[in-house]
Amino acid sequence: MDENGLLLRVTDLRKSYGDVRAVDGVSFAVPRGTVFTLLGPNGAGKTTTLEILEGLREPDSGTIEVFGRSLRRVDRATKERMGVLLQEGSFEPYLKVKEVVALFASFFARPLPVKEVLERMELTEKQNALVRTLSGGQKQRLGVAVALVGDPELVFLDEPTTGLDPQARRNIWAIVHDLEEEKKTILLTTHYMEEAETLSDDVAILDHGAIIAQGSPRALALGLGQETVIEFALVGARPEDLRELEALGTGLSTHGEAVFLKTAAFTATMERLLAWSKARGVPLSGLVVRQPNLEDVFLSLTGRRLRE
Amino acid sequence: MRPALSFALAQLRVTLRERETLFWFVLFPVLLFVLLVAIFGSLGQEGTIHFEVGFVNRDQAAGEAGLGRRIEGILEALSRPAQEGKEPLLHLHRPAGTENLDVFRAREEEAVRYGRHALLVVVPEGFSAGVLDALSSRPGVDPVKVQVFRRAGSSSSGFALLILKQVIAGVDQAVLASAGRFRPEEAVLAETTFLGSPAGTEVRYVDFLLPGLVLMAFFTAGLFGVPGAILFAREQRILRRYWVTPFSVPQFLAGFSVTHAIVCALQFTLLILVGRFALGAEVSFASPGAALFLVLASLTFLAFGFFVASLVQTGAAGMALANAINLPMTFLSGLYYQVGTLPGPLRVLLAVNPLSYLADGLRRVIGLQGAAAPLWLSVLVPILWIGFSLFVAGRRLSWDVGR
Repeated sequence: MDENGLLLRVTDLRKSYGDVRAVDGVSFAVPRGTVFTLLGPNGAGKTTTLEILEGLREPDSGTIEVFGRSLRRVDRATKERMGVLLQEGSFEPYLKVKEVVALFASFFARPLPVKEVLERMELTEKQNALVRTLSGGQKQRLGVAVALVGDPELVFLDEPTTGLDPQARRNIWAIVHDLEEEKKTILLTTHYMEEAETLSDDVAILDHGAIIAQGSPRALALGLGQETVIEFALVGARPEDLRELEALGTGLSTHGEAVFLKTAAFTATMERLLAWSKARGVPLSGLVVRQPNLEDVFLSLTGRRLRE
Repeated sequence: MRPALSFALAQLRVTLRERETLFWFVLFPVLLFVLLVAIFGSLGQEGTIHFEVGFVNRDQAAGEAGLGRRIEGILEALSRPAQEGKEPLLHLHRPAGTENLDVFRAREEEAVRYGRHALLVVVPEGFSAGVLDALSSRPGVDPVKVQVFRRAGSSSSGFALLILKQVIAGVDQAVLASAGRFRPEEAVLAETTFLGSPAGTEVRYVDFLLPGLVLMAFFTAGLFGVPGAILFAREQRILRRYWVTPFSVPQFLAGFSVTHAIVCALQFTLLILVGRFALGAEVSFASPGAALFLVLASLTFLAFGFFVASLVQTGAAGMALANAINLPMTFLSGLYYQVGTLPGPLRVLLAVNPLSYLADGLRRVIGLQGAAAPLWLSVLVPILWIGFSLFVAGRRLSWDVGR
């Protein structure tokens, strides 16, 4: 860790595949004991960035400083202090759960007891089950178990809740909160705005391989101003309808049938919007009033939604 | 070392829990062993009815009295096809008109020793006169015999010898009849010399087959097991789980090698037990030479497996390639039968097939047959294959699925 308390610092990281710039000058720093999230749509460069930091890929250029050492490529000594949950990765289907954890424990110099890790991941009951018989959520918990069995200081969680049901997702979130309480440093990638907002101390929003915004979730949302977002669906909206609606607030954006109307004077805007709806005979389906979130930040920066 | 051993243990568990793997690597060789012995154990090692036979006639007697010429005549008849378009029973090799008989004979002996020809028949000088002398029962005269050279442990040689004995029996009856003698003992005698075997004894098929099947089992484990495990693990992105930990490729290879060695040991033990206690095999592998060849075979096929894995990208392609390689390599290797009578073009495959060298070397060190190639070549060729396989695999084998 350097004198600023940073566990990881990435500077001008670049990686291309042919003509495609997967990572295009990414820089960020992660203080010890925090959760840092790379947020972005699929193909934004999150996983490639993480795979470079995990040692799976070599960058074309850029520097990585981790645990106070500057590295071109992550080495074995660094991996001893890291735990990784991969976005894509399986286990031998014919191994039992406890055998998988024991196998990965053997790779580390000072692993945690297998029993303790299984209990923590609530896998004790499944310890004698073959991997091939596990559900998606159980497999993901097993993935987290092998990421933690080496007692890492830095934990990489690449899209940890993708494809999981809501209950399994919240279980993973609880694990991340526990790790944060233990002062583990966590680098997370996700394309779920809610996940990034719930779990992160800091967020870097990636698009087309580059960071387009960075800061705490609250600071990023506040960057859009002290405005309220009124969100509703408008079926068959005409251009003149949108022009009239835009005049009701401080800004308007659409995505399909969804309309996002921003306002700094919520009450007045709401009254005028309801009057407009009544006068035109146009229902405002699924109306939601909320504060701006990371989705709005991404939308305002790129004109697209996170999960397009 | 601990990570490699833990990985080896995990791989072994996976191997033993996968029923298909267990069947093909462990049970199939045993079943094949039982099946082959049941089918061919009492019939001989191969079904060929085509033999290469060298013939030298030093007997000077001509006409009716020329017994050498009579034997040659019958062999000549057998070397003509019974029907047009059919393969004759024999291909008779005789010295060219001006060729030195000693040179020809030496060359033919080599051909028999190395399995290219089934038999060499030499009718000695003064043979006809000697037979007639013996018939006259003059005491003190040693009977003159046709000299037959065959290859030890070769069923081709054995079958060709049976045919020759029929030929000689025919001549013998004619000689006895013309002499007005119908005594039970033979006048035309043959003496057989085994080439290439210190013991000069016939090898039972079960004993011949056992080392071949041990090698086949090792080969299967390497050819299918190694690429199967690596390509599947790469495709399913199991390998990348390892590479984000301190576990390294050399440790992976060490662990994988230990697993392969244990699987080979398991195969070997089962085949030996079944061979010895169920099928009555008597051949012994308890010698340093046998241990050397077993270890060499295990390493060769492990490296060969890495080589195959490096040539393709997916598990399905790996299995297809392994299947395509498996059949010609095992059947053109001498694992199941003698290959001395193979036609010329197929001999090229024999010459580069590490299986044939390992089979030959292993059988030689356990006393089953003479070498078809020098023993050092049986060691060198597999070592060259190991070097070549690891070189190619080292350059081509990818440990992760790239983008």
